[in-house]
Amino acid sequence: MNITSDILRGHTETIILRHLLEKDSYGYEINKSIQEKTNNQFELKEATLYSAFRRLESAGLILPYWGDETTGARRRYYAITPEGRAYYQQNRKDWEDAKILIDTLI
Amino acid sequence: MIAKIRTYINRAFEDVPRTKKSMEMQEELISNLIEKFNDQLRLGKSEEEAYTSVIASIGDLSELTEGMRERHVLSGPTPQERKRSAMFVTIAVMLYILSPMVLIVFAQNFAAEITGLAGMFTLIAIATGLLVYNQASKPRYLKEDETLVEEFKEWKSSRQKNKSIYDALSSAFWLIIVAVYLYVSFTYMNWHYSWIIFIIGAAIQNIVKALLEMRGEHEK
Repeated sequence: MNITSDILRGHTETIILRHLLEKDSYGYEINKSIQEKTNNQFELKEATLYSAFRRLESAGLILPYWGDETTGARRRYYAITPEGRAYYQQNRKDWEDAKILIDTLI
Repeated sequence: MIAKIRTYINRAFEDVPRTKKSMEMQEELISNLIEKFNDQLRLGKSEEEAYTSVIASIGDLSELTEGMRERHVLSGPTPQERKRSAMFVTIAVMLYILSPMVLIVFAQNFAAEITGLAGMFTLIAIATGLLVYNQASKPRYLKEDETLVEEFKEWKSSRQKNKSIYDALSSAFWLIIVAVYLYVSFTYMNWHYSWIIFIIGAAIQNIVKALLEMRGEHEK
């Protein structure tokens, strides 16, 4: 399990971008969907998640905006930019290549 | 319990400058954690259990808070901007040096002092224009965050910019004064009193300076 989380953590940004491809979203929703998709096996630490948001934001790959919730606290949503889409496609391709390579090695 | 979550995050950001960015970051974290906390309650956990699991899932926030601190470094011009600026200044200085040549060449070879003088002033005007453009197009230091320090830096940067524009204009002004002095003296051979031009020049400069400062005071 430890090795798996290490590998997953290395792909935090791609995981976030993948989620934002479908729709604009916010921190907790993204983390919840990661939990659901992995059958509660994996969950990002908030620190990891929000650090990744900051990196993606300053690289211009995602765009933050505040939601207009009438009840409760405001949510900060993120939208993916065209650069973000391109970056996701590139990472996805890199991963496919790496997968084939690792399969032949181990 | 929600207040406790808020306190936990505020404490983690305690020694981070209270900028808009860090305040928004805290608000984002808190709103997401509260939602998570409420979800845990809905799953049947007690308040205490929900709080513990929410806090445990946060992890090490130091990477985030470190990032907020680094943003306070004043960014200087890029090497590219510096190169461009150096080119402008070099060309301008070259034009200043070459400008009397036009006058000399025209006066000596074609006996056309007026054309020579016009040519010289054109070169001076182009050189001054270059210097002013160079200063005016330099990226202004933009406020990174709404803190007092940032406002001070911005104020200082705009003051410095005004000063360099003023310096460029002033040096051009004095070159023109020298040119007028030489021209008038050579044409009318009135060396004994043409030096008065320099005193007039100094008077003009001081009047302009006073006017500029008065306007500056007025704006404040």
